[in-house]
This record gives sequence, structure tokens and C-alpha cells, in this order.
Amino acid sequence: MIAQVYFALFALVAVLCGSALVFARHPLNGAMALIGTMVSLAGIYALIQSPFLATLQILVYAGAIMMLVVFVIMVLNCAKDSSTPRLDLIGAAAILPAAAFGLLVAGVVGRAPILASPETPRGTVEAIAATLFPSQGNSAYPILFLAVGLLLLTAIVGAVLLAKRRLESLKTPEGEH
Amino acid sequence: MEISIVHLQILAAILFALGMAAAVGRRNIFFVLMGVELMLNAVNLSFLSWSRTFVGRGAMEGQVAPLFTIAIAATEACIGLAMVLMIFRNRESLDSDDFSRMKE
Repeated sequence: MIAQVYFALFALVAVLCGSALVFARHPLNGAMALIGTMVSLAGIYALIQSPFLATLQILVYAGAIMMLVVFVIMVLNCAKDSSTPRLDLIGAAAILPAAAFGLLVAGVVGRAPILASPETPRGTVEAIAATLFPSQGNSAYPILFLAVGLLLLTAIVGAVLLAKRRLESLKTPEGEH
Repeated sequence: MEISIVHLQILAAILFALGMAAAVGRRNIFFVLMGVELMLNAVNLSFLSWSRTFVGRGAMEGQVAPLFTIAIAATEACIGLAMVLMIFRNRESLDSDDFSRMKE
């Protein structure tokens, strides 16, 4: 019972903050609303027995990713953006298919007889680590994990290259001839 | 008392629709990026709640997939914000309607 009360609270906060993202005027307000959504989603993850993902949600999403977004918003300062309309006619029309999509999926899933299995294991660090790196048998997850590491490294290099002011200064003496 | 999977899925659908509205409807490039993040979050919630319906190995697959989604989201935010910085230097604008040089 208490879990359902918490779930209702978290879901309400998540949906309110999500709609605040759609209708916010300044990007910083939208980023704050998105952080609210992510923190309440972390609470919901903890409620449905996934403590590791809840921690990761706060650490990586609300911590790292949103910090980066807020940082870039503040760097660009958005002073010129006050002239951009919040939602023009085309944008308001784009909300209609999104709402139709949400209503369709919610309507279909809401009628489905889905039941939670009572003996599902908790998503603890040990259980997830045992799935990611099994001690016996074949699994694709270790390769995928390495691929994700390579992807993150590529993203770091790509972001530095993209955000660098002058690409000419990158040329090393041996690269020029 | 267990939280119903149906309610979780409906919440995920609502959040996905809100993210889609922000990503498609807004013109400011930051709202587009944040809408994509919200959509990825909704999919994570859907993964986790479906994993509650499985027993054994299937349950853990649903717990591991959001790990990779979070890594992809971090990559996407990193590259996307670097691109926003670069475009803002060239265009002095955050309105996505101004980023239409490929159309001309």
C-alpha cells in the first residue's frame, strides 16, 4: 500500500515535470524540470526492485548528463533565444500525434492482462554483474560492454574535435607533410 | 503490495509521448535534445517494468538493457551538445529552423 502511494507521488511528479519540459519558456527551466523527472524515475526504479539502476539513474542521468546540458545552456546564455517562439503552429500540431501515440499505447497496454511475477530476482549489483560477466558459459555481454567503452571514448574524442574552436591548430608537424 | 506493471507501462507511454512532443514540437535545439533524453528515460522504465514479468534469466536481461541505453544516452548528449556549440558559433542561433543550410 505504501509503495503504491509512493508510486503515485513519483508518477505525478514525473508527468508534471515532463509537461513542464514541453511548455517551459527558458531552456534552463526545462532542464530543471527534466532533472525532476529523472529523480522521480529513480525513485520508481527503486520501488520496482532495481536499486542499481536507480543509483545509476541519479549518478549518470541527473548527475552527469544534466550537468552537461545545464553547463552548455549557461555557456550559450540563451539571451538571443527569447525571440524564438515557445510553440508555433507547426509545433503545436506536432503535439497532436504525440498525444495520439501516448493514448493509443496507454489504451492498448491498459487493457492487457499483464501481471508481475512474484519470484523475479532483485536487480542488485551482484545479480547484474553476474549477468554481464558470467563465470561460465558464453555470453555476448562482455563484448558489448567493451564496445560501449570504445563508443564512450570515441564520443569524448568526437566532442573535443567538434567543440574545438580552430581545427587548424590540431595539425601536428608530422601530419602536415 | 506490488506496483502494477500496467500502471508502469502507462506512465512510460505518457513520458515517451511528452518527450516526443518536446523533441518534435519545440524549436529551441536544447528542448529537442532534452526531449530525446526524456524518450530514452521512458524506454528504460518500460524495460525495467517488463523485466518484472519474467523469472530467471529474462528478468536480468531487462535489467541490463537500460545500462547500455544509459551509456548511449550519455554519448548522445556529449556529441549533441558539442554539435550545438559548433552550430551556435556558426549561426548565432538556437532556433532549429535556422539550421537549414542543407536544404538551400
